[in-house]
Amino acid sequence: MMDGVEDAPEESRKGARSETVDLTDNSLVVDISDALSEKEKVKFTVHTKTTLPEFQKPEFLVVRQHEEFVWLHDRFEENELYAGYIIPPAPPRPDFDASREKLQKLGEGEGSMTKEEFSKMKQELEAEYLATFKKTVAMHEVFLCRLVSHPIFRNDHNLRVFLEYDQDLCVRGKNRMEMLEGFVKSFSTTSDELLLSATVKDVNDFFEQEKLFLLKYYKQLNEATTRADSMTKKHKDVADCFIKVHTGLLQLSAADPDLGKSLTKVAEVFEKARKVEGRVASDEDLKLSDLLRYYMRDTYAAKRLLYRRLRCLANYENANRNLEKARAKNKDVHAALEVAEAEAAQKIACEKFDQMSDKGKEELMDFKTRRVIAFRKHLIELAELEIKHAKSQVQHFKNCLASLRDEE
Amino acid sequence: MADDREPPPLFENVDISKNFDDGSEDIFSSAIDDIGGLTISNNGLSEVNGQPEGSPQPEQDDMGGFLDRSAPTPAPRNVVSNDSKESMERDGGDQFLEIIVSEPSKRGEGMGAFVAYKVITRTNMKLFKRQQFSVYRRFSDFLGLHDKLVEKYLRSGRIIPPAPEKSMIGTTKIKMSNQNDQQSLTGDFVEKRRAALERYMKRTAAHPVLCVDPDFREFLECEDELPRANSTSALSGAGVLRLFNKVGETVNKITFKMDENDPWFEEKTTQMENLDNQLRKLHGSVESLVIHRKDLAVLTSSFAKSAAMLSNCEEHTALSRALSQLAETEEKVETLHNEQANTDFSILCELLKDYIALIGAVKDVFHERVKVYQNWQHAQLMLNKKREQKAKLELSGKPDRGNTAGVEVVEWQAKVERGQEEFDAISQMIKKEMERFEINRVKDFKQTVITYLENLMLHQQQLVKHWEAFLPEAKAIA
Repeated sequence: MMDGVEDAPEESRKGARSETVDLTDNSLVVDISDALSEKEKVKFTVHTKTTLPEFQKPEFLVVRQHEEFVWLHDRFEENELYAGYIIPPAPPRPDFDASREKLQKLGEGEGSMTKEEFSKMKQELEAEYLATFKKTVAMHEVFLCRLVSHPIFRNDHNLRVFLEYDQDLCVRGKNRMEMLEGFVKSFSTTSDELLLSATVKDVNDFFEQEKLFLLKYYKQLNEATTRADSMTKKHKDVADCFIKVHTGLLQLSAADPDLGKSLTKVAEVFEKARKVEGRVASDEDLKLSDLLRYYMRDTYAAKRLLYRRLRCLANYENANRNLEKARAKNKDVHAALEVAEAEAAQKIACEKFDQMSDKGKEELMDFKTRRVIAFRKHLIELAELEIKHAKSQVQHFKNCLASLRDEE
Repeated sequence: MADDREPPPLFENVDISKNFDDGSEDIFSSAIDDIGGLTISNNGLSEVNGQPEGSPQPEQDDMGGFLDRSAPTPAPRNVVSNDSKESMERDGGDQFLEIIVSEPSKRGEGMGAFVAYKVITRTNMKLFKRQQFSVYRRFSDFLGLHDKLVEKYLRSGRIIPPAPEKSMIGTTKIKMSNQNDQQSLTGDFVEKRRAALERYMKRTAAHPVLCVDPDFREFLECEDELPRANSTSALSGAGVLRLFNKVGETVNKITFKMDENDPWFEEKTTQMENLDNQLRKLHGSVESLVIHRKDLAVLTSSFAKSAAMLSNCEEHTALSRALSQLAETEEKVETLHNEQANTDFSILCELLKDYIALIGAVKDVFHERVKVYQNWQHAQLMLNKKREQKAKLELSGKPDRGNTAGVEVVEWQAKVERGQEEFDAISQMIKKEMERFEINRVKDFKQTVITYLENLMLHQQQLVKHWEAFLPEAKAIA
């Protein structure tokens, strides 16, 4: 489907990055220079420029698929070294089903509308598809940009492989068994999370509060995202309704010689209003829904950090308990050895936990600043765009009214 | 637009005697018309839609009135019997009849409950006893009035402004609602019906003949309750009878095809049919627009709530404030969407609905003409038969019975003549009415569309204001 659009994104995509990462240092820069949609798959061309000595060449071009991005994300998530960091959320799976479904529906309803209506609806859908495509690409790019701009993550081995290795990374999509495994795993981590939050008492007020906040915040963001989505979708529907009104008016003007001229003018203004209204909808989607969605996922990543810290805390407490047990058994011959071992383990766990807490605190503060800046930027842009569109609507109506009054 | 294309040939034939009396008549009548238009514009915007309806018949009606006053040459006024009535319509050019339907209030309890509307009339027409008066009327009274007018005038080819439709659901809701519950009276249904009734009254009042009809005047003036118009009730015996009649008429409409020999009618019939179709289509589109807009308002408000919740749990003070401002802005936007949906409905949708109904009235009147034609043709057929009979009888040498047959022939001859006269009269009346209708339609449509666009513009301007108020709040996030 939509053969015409396949390679269109490359020219127009650049301006659509919803998130720009501040890069003062140019030693490692990544962007997605091209993206192609082939049947079910989207192939991203990842373009890297670097001055870092670790890389073999100063510039690379590799082709990556969505699954490889997810793989990269999972490697970061798994790595204990990064347990104290907020891992940038993996980009969402490219999903054009909604567009496809709509197109199919449109095809079914083709008989019930005029040719003009149909072609307009089709255009709208294609534009929508294009927008989704651009957004998907932008999300993948943001993910990489955040990784390479991070002082620690940028040195990661897996990341380097991802950027450098010019062959397929051989990451398959998960097969059924693995999916099941993943499901069981995620279930066990959630239950682990629940158990931990019930059993392990956090002594640190900062984290305790942060946890409460993130939990609530995530829930609200989730809710707000869904609602913002349905709102913008409805707005689009309203704009699409204008198409029908427009054709209705045109046909009426053809059937009515006395009013024809005035009705054509009204039809025209409806057409203009439709375009603006459609833009309002897509801008709301871009500036509001996407902002909420991204921070919902970022909040989730922060929640994961807290979970990992709690896990670490539990380990530390376990080590403490083991140490006490070992000390209690000091009549035993091997006791001294055991105590020493437990002491060492306890020390490592303690260090790890402290380190993680420090790092985590930093990361959470960072998250907050980042969030506030992004919200500010997007909300300002949203308001400005709304004003701009409403003003241009006013202008259209004004012009139409003037020309209608002129007739008299 | 209508003027230069549509001077129907028959129309001129009839009026010719009058117009030739005095060459300057046309100028005079148009001047009167202008005065009429001016006074009307003082009565407020809503009047402009309905009132100028007097203008389409300047040559006849206004002149009639005009002559009464200045009377340079007494005009022979015997062309159509109705003309004498029409001449009464205006004593001067600056007459007005302004009707407002307001204050719906619930009367009675249970199944007998109904809503009464206050009908306020202001006029300077001499036919009315006072200049300003008001009465309470219920919905079925309005329908009853319409039925009476149809009975009286449809046959002569008048386009009777249609009354709003009955709605069982809405009525039942009103009946079920609590006596003290004023909510339901200010609610959508009653308000829409009130507005529809007002438009209906205005259209009727703007008609030069209908506005002086005794039943219409009684409806406006008589302070007592009108006798219940039972036949308007859908469930009564009369209602069932009416239903039968309607079915019969429909069958008749489908089965009988008259061979039209007047190209004007042919053209108009197809044009009306076409308009009807397109109006219905557009009405459907606008209705779905209204539904979508309403949904959008609901979704916007639910997002506003969510934004408020989000602002509640946001730690960062400035961001939290901005989010709560966003929630407020979205709430305002929601109100705007709702208002817009209501405007879409009450201005655009209702206009289209009115015109679908009006075109229905036009079709009725066209059909009435077909029926008259049928009668005439039937008489013609009978006459031919009787003549044949007579000839046969005379040939067979039965002079007695031949004589009675001769009487019958004369009788049918008269019937044929009457039928033809009636047919000519209705054809000509329809043309006149159509001209009036077309001019009004163009004005009405344009005016309403302009009002609608103004409303759209206003809403967008408010939208600008709301977002402009929000912008500094977003900028204040630090």
